[in-house]
Amino acid sequence: MKGVVIDDKALLMAENDTVATALDDLEAGTELPVDTDARSDDSATGETGGASSRVVVLEEAIEFGHKIALADIEAGEKIYKYGEVIGVATADVPAGAWVHTHNCASTRGRVDREADDATALGAGGDPR
Amino acid sequence: MTPSDGIDTTTADETRISTDDPALESERFRAFDRPDGRIGVRNRLLVLPSVICSHIVADRIADEIPAAVSAPHDHGCAQLGADNDQTERTFLGVGRNPNVSGVLVVGLGCEVVQSEGVAQRFAESGVPVRELSIQAEGGSDRTIERGIDVAGTLASEQSEAETAATLGDLTVGVVSSDVQRSTLETADPLVGEFVQRVVDAGGRAVVAGTERFVPHGDRACEAVADEATRREFEQLLETKRRIPARTAGLQHRAAGRSFDEVSRSWNGLPVRDVLSYGEPATHESDVAIVDAPSRFAEAATGLAAAGAHVIVHGTADGIPSGHPVVPIVKVTGDESTADALAADIDVDATTTGVDDFTETVLEILEGDPSCAERHGLTEFAITRIGPSM
Amino acid sequence: MSVTASALADRIAVEAGALVRSTPHQMGSSQPEAARAQTERVLVGTGRNPNVGAVLLVALGTEAIDADDIADRIAGTGKPVETIAIRDAGGTEATIDEGTKIARSLVDSIEELERETADASELIVGVECGGSDATSGIAANPAVGNACDRLVEAGGTATFSETPEFIGAEHILADRCPDDETRKRLLERVDTREGMAQLMGVDLRLAQPSPGNKDGGLTTIEEKSLGAISKGGTTPVRGIVDYGEPLPAGGGLVLMDTPGYDVESVVGKVAGGAQVVVFTTGRGSTTGNPIAPVIKVTGNPKTWGRLSSNIDCNASTVISGESLEDVGQRLFEDVLDVASGRRTEAERRRLEEFAINEIQPAELVELRGESP
Repeated sequence: MKGVVIDDKALLMAENDTVATALDDLEAGTELPVDTDARSDDSATGETGGASSRVVVLEEAIEFGHKIALADIEAGEKIYKYGEVIGVATADVPAGAWVHTHNCASTRGRVDREADDATALGAGGDPR
Repeated sequence: MTPSDGIDTTTADETRISTDDPALESERFRAFDRPDGRIGVRNRLLVLPSVICSHIVADRIADEIPAAVSAPHDHGCAQLGADNDQTERTFLGVGRNPNVSGVLVVGLGCEVVQSEGVAQRFAESGVPVRELSIQAEGGSDRTIERGIDVAGTLASEQSEAETAATLGDLTVGVVSSDVQRSTLETADPLVGEFVQRVVDAGGRAVVAGTERFVPHGDRACEAVADEATRREFEQLLETKRRIPARTAGLQHRAAGRSFDEVSRSWNGLPVRDVLSYGEPATHESDVAIVDAPSRFAEAATGLAAAGAHVIVHGTADGIPSGHPVVPIVKVTGDESTADALAADIDVDATTTGVDDFTETVLEILEGDPSCAERHGLTEFAITRIGPSM
Repeated sequence: MSVTASALADRIAVEAGALVRSTPHQMGSSQPEAARAQTERVLVGTGRNPNVGAVLLVALGTEAIDADDIADRIAGTGKPVETIAIRDAGGTEATIDEGTKIARSLVDSIEELERETADASELIVGVECGGSDATSGIAANPAVGNACDRLVEAGGTATFSETPEFIGAEHILADRCPDDETRKRLLERVDTREGMAQLMGVDLRLAQPSPGNKDGGLTTIEEKSLGAISKGGTTPVRGIVDYGEPLPAGGGLVLMDTPGYDVESVVGKVAGGAQVVVFTTGRGSTTGNPIAPVIKVTGNPKTWGRLSSNIDCNASTVISGESLEDVGQRLFEDVLDVASGRRTEAERRRLEEFAINEIQPAELVELRGESP
């Protein structure tokens, strides 16, 4: 698998990512040791984390496959996974929070961003 | 229904009392008595896939239950906005068709039109309903097995209650899929006479095939009785003018004819309402236009969703397709088609008058299979107004 | 040839025996020109697909698409092609009877064909993802991508499509294009697909990601796309073809511009010539195809457990520690086995959905606007 497994619990796809993916159904209070120095190693356990390591504590239960904020993210800030932008925060997201549609939105295919060219032909097909 | 029948006192439809009129004796038929007071001319259990991904599973379930029909379609996911809404609205309309006794909704699980939501809306409108999804059941094999079980239960719970009905209880669907000369001059006028008879008896019609109105905008709008509805219709036709028609060439050919000529299949009766595709009809009498293209399979679904008990299809080519929930009466005005496809055409309009036509329809209403039913043809398609994503 | 003839084609296929498949569709008999051209391309491509030994075209006889013309274009491959029209045969019953006879004689003419040893370089493999979840981008797609890299290295063609699922990841694909022209074409196609949301006056978010994608942890189209593109592997993007357009043999990694809608997208690639399809699914899609075997791969251990009767390959081992290289090698061998005749779960169950993508009227307005 690409990326770095954090303590068998979560997967960090790329170094500059601000979210990790839960590899199990994780309970609130689960601790994820995040250590930038250990990220380059597939077998990172975090247990021997050096002085620069810190621990992200899950604010809420997070299901398998869902995302965890690894740092505080301010509303409007870009969110990174795979080393790429996957959307922007629509609310302040504290480290350890679940990141999903309630606090992260796509920036693509948005009518509200390019409202002027919307001809909305489809909507006109409905006389009601 | 006569008061002495003693059932269904809450919603008894006044028009049914007209069966006491001896003049209409020959126009009575036996129908299924629906709990909401409507009549059904078929007793179909609908197995409805909420998305293309579950359609073969739905087909297999329906294959095992004699009363069941499936309605396979290409949609239910990757549709946007009004296009997605239309698909969902159509599901509900078809499931609420009076020929349907109950619905089994079969989903995959991850699609946009969720089977659970569709089932819930059926339940809210009083339609007996069950729901299954392949991902929740744990695969296609289990879903088919469970589906046969559940559909069997729904079928056994079907009411077989019958009632006497007349043409006045009918919502008749009308579509002519072309504007060829034989259709406009021979098939449509015969259909129009029949529609007039239904309306005179207290019934109503729903008409599909919006392409034929587009070139006759002003004149078509004049046929609309109510001013608010007329404005809606104007707006609809205006939108249609900006978008290429789904059936190429038909609009152009309709432009070469007068409005009177293209409105013969409903005898030029007043238009009381204009319905979105998939929307149920609520008009009391005369005609409502359904915003559906002339492509037969798509038009038939729009008419079924509007509540048509039976659909009269005018066709010069002899398109033999049927529909899962509504019997289709095929009418051609083309002699060569009537010859070439004799077993697929119910009415040869070149040799049939309105009395014989009415008799044929009445036989089909009472349960005689129409040509398409005899051949087991149950095409189902939903029209679209937006691209797949 | 049309929705009308489709029901009869189905019946003929059932009557004519185990080797016969139908490809029923819902296209009308007189579509607007651009839509009709696309339907024709798909019908011709499906008939020309190398998995097809012989073709019977069933028509009503009044369609705008000429069955004889389609027959000629398929017959160019050298395979036997016959046509039947409902009007000429004298109705539905006569068509089923006569069509079944023709289909059986076509089967007789190809039944003797035997498999020969072939090289992987002759394979065109279509790659699809559907019912995606977070495991798709982590496990199944990169594993299939690894298999694609192996196929391309062996000289074959790998193709993936679903243009809406390039949105947010197109810059990565663009960087892998060999020249500016391909890059420009790719970015234009992505723009057009993204513009469809605006065309319908709604946010793309309403359709993408789907409810199942979201339940499975995917939040935005960008996230879905970044996971989706890994299924094509890491080799250069050689080109991008239209929906249903022929794919080159020995062509490396070639993209096709299709909707993300699975069944329509698979049909496009099979019409392009793909003999085998590899389809990753996190939530568990069960769909197949009448012409090409569809190999289902999941990266989700729960889905592998629950829907194993519909899934051929387990790639969730990537998450529990099996290397991408090993899973990729395993999948590449599965592709070769299926190409050699091993039946997939969808084939065993005859789950063979078929749908042609139709260019919609609203799209045509947009297309017209672009090419005055």
